[in-house]
This record gives sequence, C-alpha cells and structure tokens, in this order.
Amino acid sequence: MEPDAPPVLELRGITKKFGSVVANDRVDFDVRSGEVHALLGENGAGKSTLMSVLYGLYKPTEGEIFVDGKPAEIDSPATAIALGIGMVHQHFMLVPVMTVAENIVLGQEPSRGGGLLDLGAARARVRELSDRYGLAVDPDAVIEDVSVGAQQRVEILRALYRGARILVLDEPTAVLTAQEVRELVSVLHRLKEDGTGIVFITHKLAEVLEVADRITVLRRGKRVDTVPRQGASERSLARLVVGRDVVLSLEKTAGRPGEPLLAVEELHVRDDRELEAVAGLSLTVRAGEIVALAGVDGNGQHELVEAITGLRAPESGRISVAGRDIAGRGVRAATDAGVAHIAEDRHRRGLVLPFTLTENLALREYRKPLLSALGWLRLRLMRQRAGRLLREYDVRGGDTDTFASSLSGGNQQKVCVAREIASDPKVLIAHQPTRGLDVGAIEFVHRRLVAERDAGRAILLVSLEYEEVRAVADRILVIYEGKIAGEFPPEATEEELGIAMTGAGKTSMSFLASSPDGELEG
Amino acid sequence: MSAGAIAAVPAGTVSPRRVAITGIVLAVLAWVITLPPALVRTPVPSVILGIAAVAAGGFAVAAGERRPGVGAIALGVVGIAGAILSTRAGVGNLKVVFTWSALVAAALRYATPLLFAALGGIISERSGVINIGLEGMMLMGCFFGIWGADVLGSWVLGLLVAAVAGGLLALVHAVFSIHLRANQVVSGTGINFLALGITGYFFTAHYGPNGTPSKISQVPNVKLPLIQHDGFFGAAIGDANLMTWLGIALVPLLAIFLFRTRWGLRLRAVGEKPRAADTVGLPVLRIRYLAVVVSGMLAALGGAYLSVAFVGSFSQDMTEGRGFIALAAVIFGRWRPLGALVATLVFGFSSALADRLPQFSQTAGTLFQALPYVLTLVAVAGVIGRSRPPAASGIPYVKE
Amino acid sequence: MSPEDEELEVELAGDEHVEAALRSPARLNAYVRGLGGAVVPILTTVIAFVVAGLVVLITGHDPLSTYKAVFNGTGLNWLFPWISGSARTTAALELQQTLIETTALILVGLAVAFAFRAGLFNIGGQGQYTVGAIVAVWIGSSLSGMTPVLHITLAIVAAALAGAAWAGIAGVLKATLGVHEVISTIMLNWIAVWLGVYLFQLGGPLQDPAQSSVPVSKTIAASAKLPVFWGNPNLQGLDIGIFIALALVVVFGVIINRTRLGYEVRAVGFNPDAASYAGMNVGRSYVKVMLFCGAFAGVAAALDILGWKFQLFTNDIQASQIGFLGIAVALLGRNTAIGTVAAALLFGSLLTGTSERNLDPTVFDPNLAQYLTYMIQGLIVLLVSTDLIALRVLRSGRGIAVGLRRRRPDRAEAAASADGASTGGTP
Repeated sequence: MEPDAPPVLELRGITKKFGSVVANDRVDFDVRSGEVHALLGENGAGKSTLMSVLYGLYKPTEGEIFVDGKPAEIDSPATAIALGIGMVHQHFMLVPVMTVAENIVLGQEPSRGGGLLDLGAARARVRELSDRYGLAVDPDAVIEDVSVGAQQRVEILRALYRGARILVLDEPTAVLTAQEVRELVSVLHRLKEDGTGIVFITHKLAEVLEVADRITVLRRGKRVDTVPRQGASERSLARLVVGRDVVLSLEKTAGRPGEPLLAVEELHVRDDRELEAVAGLSLTVRAGEIVALAGVDGNGQHELVEAITGLRAPESGRISVAGRDIAGRGVRAATDAGVAHIAEDRHRRGLVLPFTLTENLALREYRKPLLSALGWLRLRLMRQRAGRLLREYDVRGGDTDTFASSLSGGNQQKVCVAREIASDPKVLIAHQPTRGLDVGAIEFVHRRLVAERDAGRAILLVSLEYEEVRAVADRILVIYEGKIAGEFPPEATEEELGIAMTGAGKTSMSFLASSPDGELEG
Repeated sequence: MSAGAIAAVPAGTVSPRRVAITGIVLAVLAWVITLPPALVRTPVPSVILGIAAVAAGGFAVAAGERRPGVGAIALGVVGIAGAILSTRAGVGNLKVVFTWSALVAAALRYATPLLFAALGGIISERSGVINIGLEGMMLMGCFFGIWGADVLGSWVLGLLVAAVAGGLLALVHAVFSIHLRANQVVSGTGINFLALGITGYFFTAHYGPNGTPSKISQVPNVKLPLIQHDGFFGAAIGDANLMTWLGIALVPLLAIFLFRTRWGLRLRAVGEKPRAADTVGLPVLRIRYLAVVVSGMLAALGGAYLSVAFVGSFSQDMTEGRGFIALAAVIFGRWRPLGALVATLVFGFSSALADRLPQFSQTAGTLFQALPYVLTLVAVAGVIGRSRPPAASGIPYVKE
Repeated sequence: MSPEDEELEVELAGDEHVEAALRSPARLNAYVRGLGGAVVPILTTVIAFVVAGLVVLITGHDPLSTYKAVFNGTGLNWLFPWISGSARTTAALELQQTLIETTALILVGLAVAFAFRAGLFNIGGQGQYTVGAIVAVWIGSSLSGMTPVLHITLAIVAAALAGAAWAGIAGVLKATLGVHEVISTIMLNWIAVWLGVYLFQLGGPLQDPAQSSVPVSKTIAASAKLPVFWGNPNLQGLDIGIFIALALVVVFGVIINRTRLGYEVRAVGFNPDAASYAGMNVGRSYVKVMLFCGAFAGVAAALDILGWKFQLFTNDIQASQIGFLGIAVALLGRNTAIGTVAAALLFGSLLTGTSERNLDPTVFDPNLAQYLTYMIQGLIVLLVSTDLIALRVLRSGRGIAVGLRRRRPDRAEAAASADGASTGGTP
C-alpha cells in the first residue's frame, strides 16, 4: 500500500435521511488501492446505510461520490458494478437453487450464438479466478448444498468476476467459523497485493485490529474519527465506538441450583433438509440456574430449541421437564409441562403483528381457564391481565388495544418476555432474547432473566454473544455440530470458549456484546 | 421423471421408490389388459396385477416412500375396479370407446389450449408472479380471437388480436401484482371476473342473441404427408390442428429458453431471489412485467384455439376452468415445459375419455365430464410437496 | 431485513403513518383496520363504478341514465318517502327481490370471509353452494308431510352439512398434503356442477318424473317452503331466510371475535408460524374453518331453494355465479360481519337492478347489464387486492386538505432507482 496513493473511492459529506431520521450525517470516507479500510460502529450506527448509498441502493440526500477522482452518480447496483464496486452482502445475495457458476455469471453471462449460455466458459473463468485468489469453490455445486463459508467465497468471486477494484464486505465474519475467518483473511491479503481497495464493515474490534490498515468509526450516523491501525487498541476503539467506557456488567449473586427441571438425553433432531442437526445431545438445567448455550450460529441451536418447545419432533432421545417426558408431543404438551419460550424471531414467531397487545399477551395461555372457558374468550380478563403486564414490564408506546406492529423492537420484545414469564414456567428457553435491542432493553431483559432464576426457574439462554453469555450465565455449555463441546464457568476466557465453539482454534468474538442499535429510536 | 429417478438408484439396491413406481405401472397394466387391443375377458389376471400393485405400494409406504406408495395402492384398487367394469362391458362398446387412435387425436385437441396456458403459467411463475388469471386471459383470447378472425377476416389476425387482448389483461395483472404489490391470488381472481364481464359484454353487444356467425376463418389442420392416413398414426396425429403442433414446438423452445439462455437464467433468478438479481443489476420489475404479459399472450392463444381452431364459435365462459387446469399442469409438471406437456396430455386424455364414455350410458356419461377435474385434483394432491415452486413466486418485490 | 431497518421502519411509523403503512403489509393492515375501515371499500366501489361507466360510455350508452335505471330496478327507491302509488308497489316488489338476493350473498360472502380470516382463499363457494342446493332440493322434495318447522330445519341442516363436507375435502387436502385451496376448490366447483347436471338431467336419478322433458329437480313440498313475511308469496315476496342469514352473521361475528376458535383462526390467518408457536394446530384450524365456510354456503343454497326457487334446473347449476360473487362480497366487506352485510346488499342490488325483470330495456339492454355486474365485481376484487390505490387517493386527499403536500424524497427516490434499474442491465 502506498500511503499517499490517491483514493480510488471517496465519499464526501454523505447525508442520508429517512423521513426525519438521519441515518448518515455528513460522512466522509475513502479507500485507497491496496488497503483494507475498516468501517467500525455499533449496529445502527449507519454503516450499512452508507454502503447502500455507495452501491446505488439508496440515493443520498446530500453529498458526493468520487471514483478515481471523478464525480460519480451511482443510482443503481448496475452503475456501481460498472464503476468497479463489488459488494459482499451480509445476507448473501445468491440464488439457492442455482449453481456456483450460474450465480457468479448472472447478469454478465458469457454466451454465444444469440444468447445461448456458455457455461463452459463460465466454469473456466470461475476456476481461473478461484485459483488466483485461493477461493476454493466447485463451479457446479448448487448453492444451497455448500457451506456458508463457500457461499461467501462465491460472493467475493462474483464481485471479482465483474472486475471489482473496490470490494465492500458487510460483516463478513458474522457467520464464519474460525478456520473460515483465517481463510478469508488470507484471501484479503492476496486481493490487497493485487491492488484491490477493500472496505471491511464490522462491529467487532478484534477483527479490525487483525485486518485493517485504517479504521473509520461511525457513531449515530456521524464519522467520529479515522485512525491508522498502528497505535489503535481495543480500548481506544471501543471508546470511539460508544463514546464512553463501556463494560457490560450485571449485578447478580451466585445462583443456587436446585433439582433438575429440564433434562435432555441423547437427543437427535433433523433439520428441514433432513440432515442431522442435533446429534446425540444431552444437557440438564436445574431450578434456579441460568445455563447458556453458546455457539456459532447454525450448530443445531434452532433445532434443539424447537425440539424442547415442541415445535419439531425429535428423531430420538428424551426431553423431560420436571420428570415429564415431552419429546415429540407438540407445543401444547411442552407448555402444559411448564416450558415457556422467548422466540428468536419475534416477527416471525413471537408475535402476531396485526394482533393487539391484549391478544398477543394471551397467545401462550389463551386456553387456560384464566383466559377462556368452554371455548369462549374472557375478553375482560384478557384485557385486565394485559394492562397489568404492560405496566409491570414497562412497555411503552402503546396500551392494551395497540397493534403489536406499531411498537418499537425493544417494546415488542418486552411483550414477548412478559407473556412467557407470566405463564409461570418451570423452564424458560430464551433464544437470542436481546437480538436487535438497544442497551436499555438489553439490560432489562438480562435483569429479568436473573430475577426469574432467583425465583427458582430453570433458564436456558441460547446466545451467539460472548459477552451476554458471560454476564448472565451460571454455567456455559458450548454447542458445536449438534453436540455439547464443553462446559465452562462464566469466568472462562474468550480463548477457551472460542476453541470449544469451533471444534478447534480461536475465533473472533464480539467485544461489545450485542451492541446497541436503538439509537435511532431517539 | 420416473426414468431419472430409476436411473439415480445405484445398482443392486432395492429402492422403495422404484418398487412404488413398479406398482403404479402394474396397476395401470391391470386395467389396460382388459381394454382393446388385448381385451382380456376375465378379471383374474387384473386382480392379481392389482394386488401386486397394492403390495408394492404397501412395501413402499412401510419403507418410508409414503406418497408414491399411497399412489400405487390407490391406483391398484382403481385398476382392479376398472378391469372388473370393463370385463363386464360389451366388447363392442369397449372397442368404440377405446379406439386408441381417436383417443389420442382427441387428447391432443383437448391438451392444446391447456398447453399454451400452462407454458404461459410457467413463464409467469418462474419470474415470481402467480398467475391465477390464466383463466381470464384464456377467455379474452377465446372471444377476441374469434372476433378478430371475424372482423378482420383471417385466423392469423384473429390469433394476433387474441394475443394482444390477453397481453393487455395480463398487463393489468402485472401492474397490480408488481407495482401495486397486490395479493396476486386475489388480483388474479379479479382478472378472471373482469374477463368474464368484458368478454360477455362485448360478445352480447357485438353479436347479440344470435352468437358468432358460422363462417369464420379457422386455424387449419395439418395433413401430414408421408403417413398412412387410415393407420393408427394417421388417425391419431395425421390431421391435427396447426396450433397443436405450434404448442408442441413451443415446449422445447421454452425449455431451451429457460435453461440454456442468459435470459432464461435471469428470469429464473428473478423468480427465485429477486434481491439477488437486483444486486447484480438486473431489472427485476421489468423482467416480471415482460414475463406476465407474455404469459397472458400465450394463455390467450390457448383460449383462441378453443374458439378459432376447435369449435369455430364463442359462448359465455367458454374456457370452463381450463385456466385452472393449466395451472395445475404447471404444478404437476414441476414448472418445466416438458412436465407441463405430459401433464396437459394426461388431462387432455381424461377429457377425451370423458367424451367417449357416454357410449356406455348416456346419463352416467355426464358424470364423466367431471373426470378431468377429479384427475387434476388427484394429480395435484399426489405431486405436491415433492415439487418446489420458484421461491419468490407470489411475493411482491419491494426495492430497498 | 436487518434489525437496523426494522427500527427505522418503526421510527417512520411514528413519523408519518400513511407513508409507513405503504411500506409494510403488516402495518398497512393495522392502518386499514384502524382508520380506513369504511373509507377504503367505499372508494373502491366508486372507482369500480366509474370504470364500468366508462365502458358503458365507450359502447355508446349514457352511464348516468344507465346507473339511474339500475338503481330504480333495485327497488331501493322504496325507501324514499316521496315515491307513492303504483311506483311504490313496484319498488316494494323490486326491493323484495333485492333482499332475497342479498340473503344468499351474505352467506356465500361469509363462506369466503371466514376462510380469508384463516388466510385461506375459498374460491369454492360455488361448489359448496351447488352441493347444498342439491341436498336441499332433494330433502325438500322427498319428505312431504312433515311438519314445516322440522322439514325446513332438516333441509337447511342437511344442506349445511353437505356444503361443509364438500369444503372439508379442500380443508383436509390443504392440512394433510398442502394442496393449495384455490386449485382444489375450483376443481370441486366443477365436480359439483357435473354432479348436479348428472342428477337432474333428462333421465337423471333425481330428475322430476312429472316433467320428463325438462332437466329439473322435483319441486319441494309445501311443508319445506319458507314463510313469506313481506309481499306476495306468489310473486317471490321476501321470506324469513333473511333473518336466518342475519342470525348467522351474528354467529360469525361472535365466533371470530369472542371465541377461542375465532382467536385461533385469526392468529393462523395472520401468522401461521406464530400460531403454531402458541401451540395451535394450524392444519386442524384449516379444516375447521373450511367446514364452517361450506356450511355457510350450504345454508345459502338451502335458503334460495326453500325460499323462492323451489326447484333446481341443470342450466341454473351451470350458469350460477353466486359463489364467485361471494368473493367480491367478502373482500369488499373486509371479511367483517357488518361489512359483509353491506357488500352483499350492494351486489344484491346490482343483481336485481340489472336483471331482465327489473331493468328498463329502453335505457339499457339487461342482457348487457348482467355483464356490467361481472365487470364491477372484477374491478372491485382487483382493486381490493391492493390497498395502495385507495390509500394513495386518501393520502393525496389528506395532503390537499391540509394544504401542504409534504415532499416525499423516499418515494421519489424509490421511483427513480426503479427507473434506473430498468434502464440499466441487459447488455
């Protein structure tokens, strides 16, 4: 990298407003040829918005973009591609049923004789690129059959195939195993040597220090600072990111575990594609303790939770709640046995968005005599109870007759938490209960979990966030490829957990726990 | 399909799937041997074959291949019942009904409109837009085709007018489902009602109670040279309509387009994951518009076949649910042109059979008119779950 | 959608309600239920009538006088106190017709609306109605000599059960095999038609032997006829069927809003994933709902047969479109109890107003007018399929009213980038 090389890409004074919300506020950013420039910030700091502006998905309210020193009007991805900008999206933009080669060439297909696809040429080109940068893929494999890491390589290859000189990687490590992260880093090195300018978007500090040449920090839509890697430390960066020293801490006493309430033995569960996702897993959660299940996403957590909560029938094994076997008996049996479930995705599962809060708060227990009798809903009781819960859990932005869809994410999550805890469960499954929440809401959920533990419930916390796991749990189980790969005390170091979570080797974990993204709510 | 499945089984193992398929073949055989030309007059061999089919189905179900297994069992029972019925029927009747060459010819006649509409349906659904409005678009072609042929005096122009009318109605569906992000099933239903109203209105306004005149230019049949016109092939395909051949020719063309050209790749990408297509710079909405309009034009040609080629006149609601049968053929054919051809031939054959069965009993014959619909229902029930629609079909695409 | 976008959307919802409603279906739904409840359907109807009026105009008729003649044909002018004398008598007769049509439309509307509430699209109201009619006419004509109350009840219940069973097939196929209800119910419609034609055709098993040259059922017994409470029974006066229909509207409203079943149905309709998360059996709900739908359609048929048709012609079976009108009724009525009644009255009026018997042929040919009804029906269903049109009209109306049109950078931008995308691409 030449430090004084002119930037291949420069964004000047980019402002992007959504209605009255300012997502980007006069942001300057540039990339030079052959460097990795990290864009660092919490979720919601405006990183993705900025990159969407760059890629022609959003039109900036104000500001200019320069490519090779010339002003550029980027109004669509097609223009961005033509200018040599390639994007590796956080959620891969690949067609699952098509092959690797087809995905790579889509939109710029080699063809002969009036539009007939020349897949042979496509394959050859893919092989050539993949050899050059060490991006191993099988051109004829179907995307939905290959690993997440391979899909990411396809995304990178697709950008390179289109002649990208500027490569934007949006949270590229979020879904990778440690081994895959190492491979990615070496690919990035090779791309740098070739003169590609790389924008590396992340909220993970450790990663930044590992790959970046320069680091720009965004906070609340504004650029806080741009610093070289030399001299930067996790602590200094963290201060820039959040604007204050932040340690996520939670006051809690040591747990006093009682008798086992949830016992899973030798559980085998298949996923939607009929592959074994949970492979002979056993675990126990006692009354009055929080057990965290930590792991990289996609190691069987979904299927395990679905099996315990009755949403998915296991292939074999036992699940007992306070001695009652509920494996494969459905959601009602699980609920009746005392299982409650804070769902991972509140929009898809946890809430019926067009329902009122009263109706949503009744979902878990609507069949109990408290809320209905002889097939009739007891509407008054439903509403009274809802009002009580909304007050108790401090849900803001709506009353009993408000539609769930009009609440903010944090308050929606409070509704879910309130409903599940109100069912007075023996076992509470909290699946990523703080995903997408702001600091205040995260704290609320964590406190509540600890309080329920102290009330004698058995709590299984499924989380991808290292910091959350350490702060909340009494015991940490690491899940890897559908099995428990190790048990740790909350004091375990990041290294110890990382090794277990990846089968071997160290992974970069989040320094800031699930970072705040609620700032846009004001 | 079945051949591929069989080929995929490694040699030496007994695949339950293969057993089930064998069972299905046996079940069909159970009935067929009692029909001309074999005309076995005792049900015994059929019963044996049928029981074998049921047993094969049972084995497959036990081994986990539930759907084909159940199919084999059901068909086995049907096969036995059919065989008993036909062994009791008079040989004369059987020979009249099961004149295979005539059945094939009729099946082709009935399959043609379905084929056009189904190919249209494939294009639309592959691009991610569900086209329940196929029925209405067919109906538009049905009326405006004959109107065009009448007014402009030529079936060629008639077909052109039909395609334009169907394309215009499809454009309405496209605007609603693509730009206005309508519920595509509801919007398609509206399209169907609208077509019923428009065609009925203009038909009545233009022709009054007398209906379409009798001498309207019609799509000609193709007398195949080099074929013995009194032999089986002569009677079956020697005198088929030009549009039938056009439809059959469209099948490989569309297959090549979808799976071998860049535009086909793009169309499928848009239907599977529009956001991905968008990020590589493909005009998602424009591709969908084109697909829906072309699908409407094809469906209209199918409808025009009914009036301009087959019957030579128009009557209210003439398509009689054929658009929906075509839709079922799309599903049954797994969103592939060749599959759709097979499906429409099966449905066409059932219509042909329904036409000839009244030979046995005039009153009961009416009941057989329901056969294509029953068959469609059974076929869709049997195939669903094993076939996967384009992932984005039915979901409006909203740009970020 | 990333959490970031979600939070943004929520923010927008607070900021500019309609704008946000335009972006997200869930919010749109909430918005429509909250504010636009009656306004959107009324606007939809107006737009449909205007478009159909254009067709009338293009084909050389005067839309205003046409609509006026149609209105006069509905008998709704009976409600005007200044109508008197023979005009009033005629109007009363016509209004009775309208309400008779409305009765059945309410019920077929409910048959569709209930399904929609569970997220199902019941296009099979026609087939369920047909099966119900077959059974009603069969029971009504075969058990003469019973006490009327018993005979009527028996016929209605049997028709309801028949309709339920017919719809149940689609429900079971959906729940067990995942067969899309649109295809299954359409096929069941045609199967029902041919079943009916078979039964009542010349020489058919249930054809009236007294009229051997007419393809028609036997006429029902006097004991099965519904009592007429307004008008002359010989001139198709209004029978008590309308009260049965209205009672079932109440039943529908109560089930949907007050019972566990209704709660489950609505949850399944809005979000089947959340419903199964809450322990509901989605498939079983589908079956239950379809049973109710079929029963409603079956009762509709029974009331028609016992109230004024008294017999069933095969060509009536083949030409009937009432089940399809039910779709428009349900959609226009927003699948609510009251909305269904209002929409049924609209379509009942249209049917009578455009009928050969009531429409003044010097103004507009009734044969044509019938298709005008289908067109309006189609336009309404089409317009209801998206709320964006009506909402846009509403919003621009609001903007003018406030005298201040906000600049909407995002919409303009979306349009711009859409155009950009459609001009770029294809090399």
